[in-house]
Amino acid sequence: MSQGFAGRRVLIVEDESLVAMLLETILEDMDCVPVGPASTVDEGLRMAQDEEPIDAALLDVNVAGKQVFPVAQALKDRGVPFVFSTGYGEGGLPDEWRGQPTLQKPFTEAAVRDALIKAMGLADV
Amino acid sequence: MKPMRAHGVSAPGTAGTRLIELAKSGGLAVDLASAFDASPNPYVLLTPDLRIAGVNQAYLDVTHTTREGLIGQPLFSAFDSGPGDEAPENVRQVRESLERARDTRQRDHLALVRFSIPVRLQDGREVFEDRYWSATHTPVLDERGGVVFLLQHTTDITELQRLRQQSRRTGAVTALDSILGGAVLVRAEQVQEANRRLETERNRLLEMFMQAPGFVCVLTGPDHVFQMHNPAYAQLIGHRDITGKPVREALPEIVNQGYAEFLDSVYATGEPHEGRASQLQLQRTPGAPLETLYLNFVYQPIRDSAGAIAGIFVQGHDVTESVRAAERQKLMIDELNHRVKNTLATVQSIAMQTARSHADPRTFAEGFQARLLALSHTHDLLTRSHWEGAGLGSILEHETEAHGAHRVSVAGPPVPLPPAAALSFGMIFHELATNAAKYGALSVPGGRIMVDWALANQANPRLELTWREIDGPGVIQPERKGFGSRLIERNVRHDLAGDVKLDYAADGFVATFSIPLDREQAT
Repeated sequence: MSQGFAGRRVLIVEDESLVAMLLETILEDMDCVPVGPASTVDEGLRMAQDEEPIDAALLDVNVAGKQVFPVAQALKDRGVPFVFSTGYGEGGLPDEWRGQPTLQKPFTEAAVRDALIKAMGLADV
Repeated sequence: MKPMRAHGVSAPGTAGTRLIELAKSGGLAVDLASAFDASPNPYVLLTPDLRIAGVNQAYLDVTHTTREGLIGQPLFSAFDSGPGDEAPENVRQVRESLERARDTRQRDHLALVRFSIPVRLQDGREVFEDRYWSATHTPVLDERGGVVFLLQHTTDITELQRLRQQSRRTGAVTALDSILGGAVLVRAEQVQEANRRLETERNRLLEMFMQAPGFVCVLTGPDHVFQMHNPAYAQLIGHRDITGKPVREALPEIVNQGYAEFLDSVYATGEPHEGRASQLQLQRTPGAPLETLYLNFVYQPIRDSAGAIAGIFVQGHDVTESVRAAERQKLMIDELNHRVKNTLATVQSIAMQTARSHADPRTFAEGFQARLLALSHTHDLLTRSHWEGAGLGSILEHETEAHGAHRVSVAGPPVPLPPAAALSFGMIFHELATNAAKYGALSVPGGRIMVDWALANQANPRLELTWREIDGPGVIQPERKGFGSRLIERNVRHDLAGDVKLDYAADGFVATFSIPLDREQAT
């Protein structure tokens, strides 16, 4: 579909399998390769540190009652762009993560795409 | 009168020396008593509870009474000011003055008071005679400063008052009037009345502070010494003894919390300080850990007549409950928002995935609605338990009852499931039952399903569950995984951190599950 996304490996951290499945479907439609999905913060952290390569990530903020920020920090340290997904909106993020591209649940395919473009600094295609 | 000196001045044997010796030996007491009795001024000596302990002759004369009839009697039983309308008020004025003298240990004056006394007429009848008095009440203290007696000195000024009223009625302010001290009396009367009003007002204010629902205290001086506090304040600080103590000593736990510093600053600058839902750690029970409270309060400087700051007036109320309620409400709204948005995302996912496996809008609607209802059923179960969880058996029953309870047999111990796992199992059983109804044992008459489960590994419990279809049509392995089987596999692995095997055996479909029940321990 779009050259910018073709073959890009995108990590998913999301505790709800149905939501994770939706993200996978959307990513596959964009010709991306879903990585994961991780259903806990620990699993997400392991993948964020060990998986090679990761081009981007979609992170649910509240993963099974825990906050996803350690995963976000690990990705930031690796220079991997990421998007938060949350039911709370950007206002629900702590100050240090404000301004990070954020997806509001429930989300459309276009919203996922736009947030990834913003995070990865790709030209809209 | 100058005090007499014990030695050196008078020659031995003079009258003065003898008097001093007599006084030293204690024999003078008799003489003082006769001096008291001989005085032309009427005196009564009262105990602190206002009983008559002694009277002199002048008093007996002026009140037409006898010593025997008075000693030991409460003053206001002996003299109740008669049956007149004003009697209670007259009694009250005298009683207040006596109590003031006793409580303050200071002499108290009553410039003018009306008080009726009984007089026996010649024919033997007793009538009350209106009389006007001027009274002085003096506390008699022991060496430790305690009040042992109250001395009442009364002057009958009835004649003076009559003359004054007469001259007032005629409208003439006569020289006689001024000579008789009428103007002075009027002024004294006015001052006394003003004092009485002030006293009443002061008591009313104090009463208001004491009964205020909020806490109130008055601190005095640069060290903020507790001068007065109301019961609400006492309750706040756990009824500690704080009166007369500086704040830092009385409530040591507040020292590093900024409050003593605010007081210092109010005292130094005269600027009031206001706190809103201000957090405070307070010792409310001796020996117990500090309690966290939230207070609305004001520190207001109190200035003396010269405008200098003399102390601080503290008032406020405990808003801990409303702060806590607001916190709980925010948490609940955040949690609700999180759940609703996640549920919507789940529904969205179901819609999208269902749409992909149905080209026909009608079958899409059927499949989508059935899945939505399965989700809703589990929500109903959870709502019944206030979202604490649901039992595996009831979830299974809920999702299969539409296909005929007799066709599905279940066997296993009770397994309580937390909300997230309950929702997962609801969707899993829905997909299994739907599949069985479409292609498996429930698609033909006589086909049955057996579900049995057990708990393995007590220390780290796992649920081992088997869904077995029997007497159904021949089973053919599907060419590609449908949404239903993907949903089951994903739910088990992702949401439940367990394993599942879907076996399309020729004589009947079998699904075996192995799920850790304590996920915290399992991961």
